[in-house]
Amino acid sequence: MFERKRSLPADGTPAGAVTRKVALVGNPNVGKSVLFNALTGAYVAVSNYPGTSVEVSRGSASFEGGSWEIIDTPGMYSILPITEEERVAREILLTERPDVVLHVLDARNLERMLVMTLQLVEAGLPVILVVNIMDEAERMGLEIDIPLLQEKLGIPVIGAATAKKRGLPEIRKAIASCDAAHHASFGYSRRLEGDIAEIAGLLSGEYTLSGKSLALLLLQRDEEIAALVAGKEGDRAGAIAEKVREKTFERRESFHLDLSLERKGIVKGLLAGVLRTPEKRRVTAGERLSSWAVHPLTGVPLLLAVLYYGLYQFVGVFGAGTLVDFLEGTLFEEYFNPWIIGVVNGIVPWEIIRELIVGEYGIITLGLRYAVGIILPIVATFFLFFSVLEDSGYFPRLALLVDRIFKKFGLTGRAVIPMVLGFGCDTMATMVTRTLETTRERIIATVLLTLAIPCSAQLGVIMALLSQAPGALLVWSVCLLLIFLVVGFLSAKVMPGETPMFYMELPPMRLPQLSNVMTKTYTRMQWYFMEILPLFILASVLLWLGKITNFFDKLVNWMEPVMAFIGLPRDAAVAFIFGFFRRDYGAAGLYDLQTKGLMDPRQLVVAAVTLTLFVPCVAQFLMMKKERGLKSATLIALFVSVVAVGSGWALNRFILFTGIL
Amino acid sequence: MIRCGYCGHEFAEEEGIRSCGKCGKPGGCRMVRCPKCFYENPPEAKAPKTLRKVIDLLKK
Repeated sequence: MFERKRSLPADGTPAGAVTRKVALVGNPNVGKSVLFNALTGAYVAVSNYPGTSVEVSRGSASFEGGSWEIIDTPGMYSILPITEEERVAREILLTERPDVVLHVLDARNLERMLVMTLQLVEAGLPVILVVNIMDEAERMGLEIDIPLLQEKLGIPVIGAATAKKRGLPEIRKAIASCDAAHHASFGYSRRLEGDIAEIAGLLSGEYTLSGKSLALLLLQRDEEIAALVAGKEGDRAGAIAEKVREKTFERRESFHLDLSLERKGIVKGLLAGVLRTPEKRRVTAGERLSSWAVHPLTGVPLLLAVLYYGLYQFVGVFGAGTLVDFLEGTLFEEYFNPWIIGVVNGIVPWEIIRELIVGEYGIITLGLRYAVGIILPIVATFFLFFSVLEDSGYFPRLALLVDRIFKKFGLTGRAVIPMVLGFGCDTMATMVTRTLETTRERIIATVLLTLAIPCSAQLGVIMALLSQAPGALLVWSVCLLLIFLVVGFLSAKVMPGETPMFYMELPPMRLPQLSNVMTKTYTRMQWYFMEILPLFILASVLLWLGKITNFFDKLVNWMEPVMAFIGLPRDAAVAFIFGFFRRDYGAAGLYDLQTKGLMDPRQLVVAAVTLTLFVPCVAQFLMMKKERGLKSATLIALFVSVVAVGSGWALNRFILFTGIL
Repeated sequence: MIRCGYCGHEFAEEEGIRSCGKCGKPGGCRMVRCPKCFYENPPEAKAPKTLRKVIDLLKK
């Protein structure tokens, strides 16, 4: 928990005034937090809701002569919760009994979001409706008659654009004068109203929610509400549960659908005369692209085009090819290295020290050359491409697109976050797997990340390597994809369990802003470079130590049979030893072997596949241990090593047998 | 304010979840996680932040 100091509000609060509570509720991405920030005053406290990992922000505010505690609840789509966030949001409404419930919705999605307003009003809560993002809605040509909507709902309704501070004084005024007693009531079909009345008539306890709302939640088999009612009704609980069972059995075929359709019908009636849309609403390019990105028929080709032009052409060909050729091949090999070797040889009389600085595994000739000449241009182009995609809003659409495939692995689209982040850095991505709902999901995602998701630098170097041999990149990609699918599918079979539901609000797709993209790229590059440079220098020192003590040669000798088993030359062991420090360091080692002409295309692709699948770097192993425990981390590392060597062997045999390379 | 690169949620840098620094990376990763979806976002770079502060001061 932390507290954030803010400037004290201009409007002072009378001493001893009673503080009343305002809860902000609504779907994610409707501007709740912006409104919360605009309303809150002196202090903001962010803390986990007791017993959960969900964070709730609370702040204080003083306006219109009153003192208020503002609570920013997690995003919710309905009063019937599905996710932990929704459960927490409802819990706040039930237990904290706010004096005002500020329902914030997006004016562009009025029809969909008004269903929850209906539920809140029906529950008898003191609701004020904030129709937010009015500026965008107006830009789209939507006209919303706020006074008419207010009249129909019977509660205060305010049109706002909180990001632009529009509507804030009206919201403050409405909070101060909120009267919970006034609201409209909405009727369902005669049959449903009859069922509701029968159940509500049996309730006699004191509740925050109305009898009608409770009856509907009981009919929707809300276990928390059932437990609440059982606790409050004492002897009558059995009769209520029996009545609910009887009604749910009668309506077992389509209750949820019927209720949803009836609510939609009510909302349609509410919006008649309130919402006017232009006859021919112009579909923006962003909306069109957004719809293409989530549909499998158009989304998959779009994804392939993004990967081909972004990853292969820009990062692989331009970054790992053109830029690396210039930096490593020309600047380092032709100018810098000969010059620095000459300088060091001239001033350092001891060969052993010369070897440490500019020798075969020297800090400058190997560590600095790998870091600046090979890795830097690759991560720079990768992070630029990554930031463009991120700023455009493509990632959540990718999550929806792959959700169907991920379900076969026991994962949901939510796992796209760690998977996508894995292409940047697997260590951080392993940590992010903690956001997945079940332990099963977390273990499957960790295995897939460790095994088949190469980090950005490794990906770039491998692309540069394999693009030299026609077909090699295709073989590598097919291998990785196959292993990803097979291991994912088998993991889900070996670890049975339910796959949780996944849905998310899509933020709008937009043209990436140059300033945002450049800032993100710069920050990520700075962090990455500061991280790899010391590690590369340390690795050079360790390799130098290994060389002067002959331990390095012994290590290479021990690994020789493994290399021979997968059809690789003895020297390839060096790259694998490098890879133990960092996988990109190992990939850069392969790059060196290839430029020296020590490997043919078959060996190149076998080495690339094995190294990509190989045991994670030290940092990732430590993170796995921290997140999953030592036993699971060791088992995953062993499994990954066996799959890596086994796949290398099988691929080598397959290429020798078919002669495809 | 940082706009989350994944879910689009806007949050102040202080509201985000800071890196724990336990991953073995020197100094930690310095990324700021979105409080809603946990996606890691780079913090605002110092140079543009300072520039914005200067512009705000000049406006006042």
